This record gives sequence, C-alpha cells and structure tokens, in this order.
Amino acid sequence: MKRFKIGFFVAGVLMISFLTGCTTRLPGQPTEAERWRAPTDVTDFSQLYAQNCAGCHGVGGRLGAALPLNDPLYLSFVTDEALRTAISKGRPGTNMPAFSQQVGGSLTDQQIELVITGMRRQWSRPDELKGVELPSYSVNGIATSNSPKSATVNDYSVNPSQTSDAQRGAVAYQTYCAGCHGVNGAGGTAGSIVDPYFLNLVSNQGLRTTVVVGRSDLGKPDWRSNVPGHPMSSQEIDDVVAWVAMHRQTAEATSVTATEGTRAVSLQAK
Amino acid sequence: MIERLTRIALWIDERVYISKLFAATAGHSVPRTSGSWFYVFGSGTLVCFMIQIVTGICLALVYVPSASEAYSSLEYLNYQQQLGWFLRAMHNWGSNFMVAIMLAHLIQVFLFGAFKYPREMTWISGVVLLLCTLGMAFTGQVLRFDQDAYWGLGIGAAMAGRVPLMGPAIVHMMLGGPIIAGETLSRFFTLHVFVIPGTIIAIVSLHLRLVLTKGINDYPVPGKLVNKETYIEEYEEELKKDGVPFFPKAISKDMIFSGLVLLGIVGCAAYFGPAGPRGVPDPSLINTAPKPDFFFLWLYGVLSLMPDYLETVLMLTAPFIVIGILFAVPFISNTGEKSPRRRPLAVLSVLFIFIVLGVFNYLGTFAPWSPHMEAWTSAATPVNYLEGRSPLERQGALVFHNKQCVNCHSLGGAGGLRGPTLDNVATRLTGDQLVRQVIQGSGNMPAYGKNLNPSEVTALVAFMRTLHSPTESPARDSTRSEQAAAEKTPAKALAQTGEMQE
Ligand code: HEC
Ligand code: HEC
Ligand code: HEC
Repeated sequence: MKRFKIGFFVAGVLMISFLTGCTTRLPGQPTEAERWRAPTDVTDFSQLYAQNCAGCHGVGGRLGAALPLNDPLYLSFVTDEALRTAISKGRPGTNMPAFSQQVGGSLTDQQIELVITGMRRQWSRPDELKGVELPSYSVNGIATSNSPKSATVNDYSVNPSQTSDAQRGAVAYQTYCAGCHGVNGAGGTAGSIVDPYFLNLVSNQGLRTTVVVGRSDLGKPDWRSNVPGHPMSSQEIDDVVAWVAMHRQTAEATSVTATEGTRAVSLQAK
Repeated sequence: MIERLTRIALWIDERVYISKLFAATAGHSVPRTSGSWFYVFGSGTLVCFMIQIVTGICLALVYVPSASEAYSSLEYLNYQQQLGWFLRAMHNWGSNFMVAIMLAHLIQVFLFGAFKYPREMTWISGVVLLLCTLGMAFTGQVLRFDQDAYWGLGIGAAMAGRVPLMGPAIVHMMLGGPIIAGETLSRFFTLHVFVIPGTIIAIVSLHLRLVLTKGINDYPVPGKLVNKETYIEEYEEELKKDGVPFFPKAISKDMIFSGLVLLGIVGCAAYFGPAGPRGVPDPSLINTAPKPDFFFLWLYGVLSLMPDYLETVLMLTAPFIVIGILFAVPFISNTGEKSPRRRPLAVLSVLFIFIVLGVFNYLGTFAPWSPHMEAWTSAATPVNYLEGRSPLERQGALVFHNKQCVNCHSLGGAGGLRGPTLDNVATRLTGDQLVRQVIQGSGNMPAYGKNLNPSEVTALVAFMRTLHSPTESPARDSTRSEQAAAEKTPAKALAQTGEMQE
C-alpha cells in the first residue's frame, strides 16, 4: 500500500515537471504558426501566392490554366511596374482579378510588393538569360494596361499599336505559327487561337506575353524558337498579335453576343 | 493531544452532523447488482463538471468579458501565459467529455428503465441538467468571441427572429441590442458563469438527493416487473438481503472510471490542444470557415433538408416537441419491464435516433448553412484537367475559379461540397443543359445569368464538356442530329432556350 502511494507521488511529480518543463513541447500546444492572422497581416510569400494566385497560375507557379509566373524568361521580360499594375488593377475583361484593396481586392499595397519581390527572389534566374536581348514588354514600352484605356482591352476596334499591321501579321503567322496552330489558326495540334470567345477573354498584352515567352510548361515555344534558329523580330511580334487580335471582330461573335446578352437578361427576369 | 483533537471533531460533528451525513450518503447501502460497469456514467459526468468548475475559475482569472479584450485575453493564454493553453484545452475537452458521458448516462438510464416508478423526478431533473449542459456548451463557445462564436450566434439569432410577433424582441433580449456587441458578451458571460452553473449545482443536489432517497436502480432482470404497490417493499427487501455500503464497495468502479475520464481529458488536452480562438469577429471577412462543436452539427443537416414552407414552423416547434418528449418519458411508461431485453421498442428507438443523428451530422457537413463551407478559392484546377485542353477550355477553367464555382463544386477532390462534384459532369449533362444550369441556377445553386458574359458562359461550358473520364463519352442531346449539335455553340443554344421560354 505504501509503495503504491510513493508511486503515485512520483508519477504526480513527473507529470507536473513534464507539463511545466520548458524543454518539452506537447503536441497540443498552439504554435505561433497556427495563430490566426487577419488576411491582411499575412506576409509570407508562399502563403500569399498559394492563397491568391495558385488557383489560376498553378501550384508553384506552373501548369495552371493561366500563364506560368514561375518562369525565369517571363520574369526577365516583365517589368516590376507592369507586375504591379497587373496584380493591383487586374486585367479588366479578362479573368485576371484586381487584387488591390483600392479597387475591392483583398491585398494591401505592401502585400502586393511582397508578392512581386517574392516571385523575383524565388523564381528569377537573371544569370541564365545574360546576353539575351528581350523584346520590350509592351508595344510602346509602357504597360498597356496602365493607361486608363485598359478598360478597352476588349474594344475590338483598337489595334495593339499604331505601328502593327495585321496584314503583315498574317504572313508572319504562316511562318512562325501555322505549323502548330493550323493554317488559319483554328486548329492543328495546339487548339484554336482565333476563337472569338477565347479572344474576348484575353487582353492584347496577354497575347503578346504568350507570343514572346511562350508557355514553357505546356511545350509552347518562346519567340526565339517557333522556327528554330530564327527568332521573331520585334515588328513581327507586334504584327502577329495584331493579326490574332483582329479575329475578335470577325465572325458573328459580336452580333451573337448582343442578342444573347438580351436573352440572358430575359431568362433572368423570369 | 489526540484526545483534544477528537474532542474538537466531536464538537463540530455535534453541531453540523458530518458523521450522519456520511452515513446517509457514502455509507448508505445499495443493491449489490448496481455496482456494475454500466452504472459509472453518472459519477463520470459529475467529475467532468467538477473539472469544469476548477478550470473555469482559473480561466475567469484571466478572461476579460469585454468585446475588445475577450479575444486578446484568450490569445494571451494560448501564447504567453505558461500552460495557459493547457488550461483552455482542459476546459474545452472537459466540456466535450461531459456532453458525451452525459449522453451515455442518459442512454443507460433509459435502456435500464431507471426512469420508472419511483424515480420519475430523478429523470426529469436529469433532463434539466442535460439542457443546462448544452446551454453551457453554447454559451461557452460564445465567450470565445471569435468568428465561430459570431456565426453560431448569428444563426441562433436568425432562428429566434422567426418567432411570430415576438421575434425582434427576443433577438434584442438575447443579444442585448440589435446586433452582436459588447452587451451580448456580457449577457453570455453572466449566463455561463453565474446563472447556468448555479442552476446546475442546485439541480445536481436535487438529483443526488433523489438518488439517495429513492435508491440506485437495481440491475434490471428480465421478467421482474415494476409494480407501484410492491416495488418499494421489494427494493428494501433486496437491500436488506443483499445490500452493500456504497463506500467503499460500489464506488470502486466509479473511481476507476473517473480516473480514466480524467486521464482522457488530460490526454486529449495535451495532444489536441485548445480550440481556437479562430479569428477576431469581423463581419466584413467573408472567407471564414466556422466550425461548431460536433453536438450541434446535425442541426444544420436538418435545417438544410427541410422544405422551405416547413422551415419556420419546424424550427420553432421541433425543439419544444423533442424536449417535451424527453420530459414525458417517465409518464409514457413507468411500470412493467425494465430490462432492455424485454423492451425492444426502447432499444430500437435508441438505435433509430442514433442513426438519424449520425446521418444528419454527416449531411450537416454539406448543408448550405454548413460550417465546413471553406473558402476554396485557393484550390488549383488539377493539372490533368488542363492537359491537352484548347485555349478556350483553359479560359473556362479560369472562369470557374474567377466566379468561385470551386467554392461549391469540387474537381479532383479539391473544392467545396455544397454542390455535386463536377468531375464527370459532361457525362450527365449536355451542352445546352450546362448552359441552362449556369444561367438559371437551380436549388441551392445561384443563377449566374447576370454575372457572366456570353464569352464566359461559352468558355465555362467548353471546359465542363471536357470533364469526363477518357473511357466515357460526353452526354448528347438525342433530339438533335449530331451534326447540328456540333455546330451549335452553347451561346446559341442559350439563345434558343430563351426562345422556348418566351
Ligand atoms: C482567377 C484567375 C487568376 C488569379 C486568381 C490570378 N490571376 Fe494573374 N492572370 C490571370 C489571367 C487569365 C491572366 C492573363 C490576362 C490577360 O489576358 O492579359 C493573368 C495575368 C497576370 C499577370 C500579367 C501577365 C502578363 O501578361 O504579363 C500577372 C503579373 C499576374 N497575372 C499575376 C498574378 C498574381 C501575382 C496573382 C495572385 C496575387 C494572380 N495573378 C492571380 C488569371 C488569374
Ligand atoms: C511548337 C508549336 C507551337 C508554335 C510554333 C506556336 N505555338 Fe502557340 N501554342 C502551342 C501550344 C502547345 C500551346 C498551349 C496548348 C494549347 O493551347 O493547346 C499554345 C498556345 C497558344 C496560345 C494560347 C495561350 C493561352 O493563353 O491559352 C496562343 C494565343 C498562341 N499559342 C499563339 C501562338 C502564336 C501567335 C504563334 C506564332 C508566333 C504560336 N502560338 C506558335 C504551340 C505552339
Ligand atoms: C453556392 C454554391 C454554388 C455555386 C457558387 C455554384 N454552384 Fe453549381 N450547383 C450548386 C448546387 C447546390 C447544385 C445542385 C443544384 C440542384 O440541386 O438543383 C449545383 C449544380 C450545378 C451543376 C449541375 C451538376 C449536375 O451534376 O447536375 C453544374 C453544371 C453547376 N452547378 C455548375 C456551376 C458553375 C459553372 C458555377 C460557377 C459559375 C457554379 N455551379 C457555382 C451550388 C453552387
């Protein structure tokens, strides 16, 4: 009986020292990482990216439905200013939402900067691209979506730039693109890129980015390797984008769109 | 020396009757058969309650019942105060164990017919204790004053608000104002710390007194019927013949069980830790995923399955009916067989209630009011759902994200569960049907007609048409030639639907 009591005593002392001991950490003790934080207080790049961008740009920045951000070529191509504009204001008319709180998004300006520096820190490889001369990011050297005109990305009458020419673009298309996208862009091995519905959902800048950096994660070549050893000239890039963008206004897309809009509304009303 | 102490003890005993109290309580004799492993749940519940009192008092030393400080005082306990988190965890798990063991006690008492003559009042006081305990669980969750609390209260207020005429007044009384605020917290603090525990202590005293005066239920024997004329005599006879003192004979199993309960609570607290607090309450944060305690989950299942026209009526009457039935149990049948072997109806109804609650708990997870409505916007479209897709179809996947379809529908296992998974939707619905579903919605699915432009609808439907396993072919509209179907873009089909409706 006495031994029993001593046993109890020892167990009790052990238990208390175990619980208070600074060295042991019980599994149930909440860690700082588990602590709830307001979404605007999150400062970790991986968390910010995973929560806000991974859904569209892919886990780890690749193989998402939208272009891969984890692409050294893209990160060399794009300017910080353009990143900032795209992330904070989004691309109206496309599926890229605006993230700045000023326009109803969920990220603070500081968080947007953290995303930009985080992408650059984790995914940039400037050394690998030394000596490569990249085409300018936007047609005029200014991020197009920066101007108030950005709201008109889907205004089909606007050409990407004054200097581009869809006519010349058609020729460049045959040289560089038809091999994969078919003679008229509507098929081939890589799916139609002149479907008006598709084009209504992408901006000209988005098209330009695609043409220049390709989609390394989907096996789409960048501007240098559409035709191996024969990079596209800056002019050809402008022209091809203009030619692709031109298909927005062709087809009956616009008229169908108009009637449908009203149908959808009348359906709604019922 | 010893003599003097003894004299002091006797002096006290003569005035407060301690030894008599002992003889009447711990020393009273009980039927030998009731020293059974089935009879330990009552004392187990009491042990939990005592743990709750002790840990609750400790918590109250730190907790500040004000809207601005409640949350931070819990964070202080979790992250700064040495072992503060453990204290919170003990209180939290003590509460879970208390509810669970109390339910076990309820079921045991019901199955063993212990509510029958002459123990009706014991049962009724027990039901009051059950309600008080659930009240403690609810008010306790509110004291956390985090997003869960906010959400639980919000739903409670919404239900109360449906009471005809009195609704707004009741909500006002419950919340201490028109909205959830500091006044609300003061009210729930008062309830949780003074009113309900006080009631529980009073009723527990009554409950225990009844157990003493009416005796512990003898172990039911099939064929031994309860008869109002003879029962008490028989019981006393049995006590005389085969009674044992409660202490130390019958109590040993209770002690062992209580020890296990204590170990279980300490173990769970150490291993799983405290609950929350999960985020400061901020109605403007929409991406929250509140989680109520498991014993309230079934409620959401019930609410979601109810047809609309019944909702208000059932919501306001059902609780009273259920509670009424619980109170009425000893009056429905209070003589006759006690043994569960001879009471198939009792056993079946317990099983039935278990299954029903289990199913509703499961459904509660998917209910539109469901607490597990996580914000899934961060779930990426599975890579194999994008492989070999056309640019338009990829845009569809983006619309799916951008319009937050993924919050309700899962793809490849990731996504919300409120709507059906869309992994194979192309084999179920034709293009036209998909268009209609998206534009018009149905059931709990909102209509997206106003929020999607035709290009978005077309892309979305093109993407969904690719959602089928490689071996199955997508659904076709048999009323239409394949050629025509292939030509029609979904947007045109939509235009047609419009015509049909007109
Ligand atoms: C709902 C889907 C979606 C989400 C979420 C999303 N994006 Fe995008 N993003 C897109 C689409 C689509 C485009 C291409 C738009 C276009 O056509 O120009 C794009 C374009 C961009 C571009 C410009 C690409 C270019 O042309 O240079 C950047 C930069 C970008 N996204 C960054 C982000 C970051 C950072 C996040 C997270 C904070 C994010 N995106 C979240 C869909 C999304
Ligand atoms: C080596 C084959 C190849 C060549 C050459 C090629 N592409 Fe692509 N392209 C692809 C692949 C692969 C994809 C992505 C997969 C798909 O869309 O089926 C793609 C996708 C696209 C997209 C859609 C991107 C998106 O956002 O979904 C556009 C636009 C595009 N290409 C334009 C062009 C243009 C313009 C050219 C000529 C300058 C060109 N491509 C040359 C293979 C090619
Ligand atoms: C609020 C939750 C919610 C959202 C958001 C939502 N849905 Fe649904 N969806 C449902 C529910 C619930 C059903 C089942 C409808 C019924 O029972 O009639 C459903 C049904 C469907 C169906 C029919 C599935 C089948 O197998 O019959 C499709 C297709 C669908 N939704 C697509 C979408 C698309 C596309 C979006 C985004 C534009 C979307 N849903 C957004 C809840 C939602």
